[in-house]
Amino acid sequence: MSKLRRSMLFVPGANAAMLSNSFIYQPDALMFDLEDSVAITEKDTARLLVFHALQMPLYKDIEKVVRVNPIDSPYGKLDVEAVVRAGVDVVRLPKTDSAEDILEMERHILAVERKCGRPEGSTRMMAAIESAQGVINAPEIAKASPRLIGIALGAEDYVRNIRTERSPDGIELLFARCSILQAARAAGIAAFDTVYSNANNEEGFIHEAEHIKQLGFDGKSLINPRQIELLHNVFAPTRKEVGHARLILEAAENAASQGLGVVSLNGKMIDAPIIERARWVLQRAEASGIRQ
Amino acid sequence: MKITQQSHAGTLESGDVLIRIQPVDTQEIEIELESVVEKQFGTAIQRLIHDTLNKLNITGVRVIVEDKGALDCVIKARVQAALIRATGTQLLEQNWSEL
Amino acid sequence: MNDEVIFCCVLKAEISRWQQIADFLQRNNLNIDLDIEQFIVALDEQQQLVACGGIAGRVLKCIAIEPALRGHGLALRLMTTLINQAFSLQRYELFLFTKPENEALFAECGFHLLASVDDQVILMENSATRIHRYCRQLAQQRQPGQRIGGIVMNANPFTLGHRYLVQQACRECDWVHLFVVQENASEFPYEDRLALIKAGVADFKNLTVHPGSDYLISRATFPSYFLKSQKIINHCHMALDLQLFRQQIAPALGINRRYVGTEPLCPVTAQYNREMAYWLTTETLSAPVIELHEIERRQQAAQPISACRVRELLARKGPDAVRSLVPETTYRYLWQHYGSPPVAHSLAV
Repeated sequence: MSKLRRSMLFVPGANAAMLSNSFIYQPDALMFDLEDSVAITEKDTARLLVFHALQMPLYKDIEKVVRVNPIDSPYGKLDVEAVVRAGVDVVRLPKTDSAEDILEMERHILAVERKCGRPEGSTRMMAAIESAQGVINAPEIAKASPRLIGIALGAEDYVRNIRTERSPDGIELLFARCSILQAARAAGIAAFDTVYSNANNEEGFIHEAEHIKQLGFDGKSLINPRQIELLHNVFAPTRKEVGHARLILEAAENAASQGLGVVSLNGKMIDAPIIERARWVLQRAEASGIRQ
Repeated sequence: MKITQQSHAGTLESGDVLIRIQPVDTQEIEIELESVVEKQFGTAIQRLIHDTLNKLNITGVRVIVEDKGALDCVIKARVQAALIRATGTQLLEQNWSEL
Repeated sequence: MNDEVIFCCVLKAEISRWQQIADFLQRNNLNIDLDIEQFIVALDEQQQLVACGGIAGRVLKCIAIEPALRGHGLALRLMTTLINQAFSLQRYELFLFTKPENEALFAECGFHLLASVDDQVILMENSATRIHRYCRQLAQQRQPGQRIGGIVMNANPFTLGHRYLVQQACRECDWVHLFVVQENASEFPYEDRLALIKAGVADFKNLTVHPGSDYLISRATFPSYFLKSQKIINHCHMALDLQLFRQQIAPALGINRRYVGTEPLCPVTAQYNREMAYWLTTETLSAPVIELHEIERRQQAAQPISACRVRELLARKGPDAVRSLVPETTYRYLWQHYGSPPVAHSLAV
């Protein structure tokens, strides 16, 4: 079953205190940032902070994503070297415009894996799409590498690129969100939504979270730890959904124990995707509880 | 490797450390430590900084440490960053496994 | 709470911002010092100034924080930004002026007390050991004797007046330590002033000429000395400088007398001499008393010889006009810088 990635908490790579203690918040994944949250003059020291934070025992059991600088910037290659060596789970590429961006990053990751003796292919990737060009190329991007676990929307740069700004209902992002979601699903990988930047507006955040969940997204990047629980609650299944999922899984187990190839519930045939979805509902219920 | 110029890294914020590196005339490693946890961890921090420098073969240096309760990995990262700033990225590229 | 605060740098040329800073400081009972080159300021979401700190050379001062925001970590963020800014200008050895009640706050930022004047001002530096290392080095040049003299001079340029002072001191003392003001704020550069002094006192056998340092009449300890043209002399700066001499430098070398010339012409130096009497000889201060020996200025043509007078004559009439006021070595130097070589000149005459 695929790993749960509802919440990805951004941690600025130059902030020593946050890098030291963000494990206490228990998001599904932590995303250490070396890119936009880090001033040019701090790129080198942030890289080393993240390098060491990745190896902290306290982070052993949590999925660690690092957003590196673009590979064509003066920092990208050293970032990749540092985080791959430090055992990062997922490298997040910013500003992905084409499949070639993915392939280039992959070459660098592979080279470092070989140099440091890490199993080839063990470093996963995630691509952030932050431009109109990236949205147009999303289907190719999503299929560009077997390392890709998902693609994500980066809305702040995207709205600038399409010459608008973010609004409360997010109408300006609808096309990009749908495109990214379609591309991800077609490639069989995950789709992640952008950050909600006003950390103090809970109502607006929940509204947006419900919206992207309804569109089909797997999760969302977060900038404030307070948003984790709010998001998990949005993603928590309802009591009715949980009850239904249990019935489906019981029926599937019954069928399996009787050696039946076909599962049916209430007279309707249940196929594999439905069973898979029921498992996913229970997984979310286990992680988030029942929706309040 | 000998340090030839001054450098710094870090902040004074809680959970962080501000490191300053200065060349000295001798081959010694001098450490000036101020820490909010000096009583409990002063010796351990000194040892950590010595280890970090030794692994990179750095001598002839004074390290001035203003610690605000940083974890070991933060101290290590800030010291290494300051050293790289004082000596150039060659130090980084040749010593990944020693960091 | 102050995550939304933005830090930025304001240069003197940004007049309206500079005025904003002046107003902010005034509300916090501070004035902008004239030698500050730039400020780091913190702006809140409404672009209101909520904190600032100035950089003047290697000195941090005029640091203030909006009273309502104190105690929220803003001070540490401001100081980090300020210190990092100074470091990025390659200024690593920093000093800081503040009020005594802020000592603990700046101690948290790595600054250590050097000297204080009553309840008015303290001087700190960002090292616990630098002054002690300096004094240890000085102590290696200690000389035996009962009467050890100290002189601090700028010698801009070295005159017969200076030489007379050194001569008197050497006559009265077992050993004399002469320090040369290091700052390059004078007409004659430091290296030249030092060389002229050394050349002009080479015949005294019980004398050490020391290079200057940050702890002796420097922009750090005594910024207003270098703003003489402003005719502003800060009583506190003077007091800090003299305390450093009495508490740190004099004990390192065993200096127990300080020699100065009477100062009839230069008002800043004249006031310095008067302050000196108080700060060196008051019994209540912690370090041993240092006798102050004020030597009557040597006269020439019924006027005291001073560097002020030499500079003025030199500018109006050239090197020959000052020949009787300076040692031969200084005279030759002046010719090299102000005219044709003295040999050629004397042939022409």
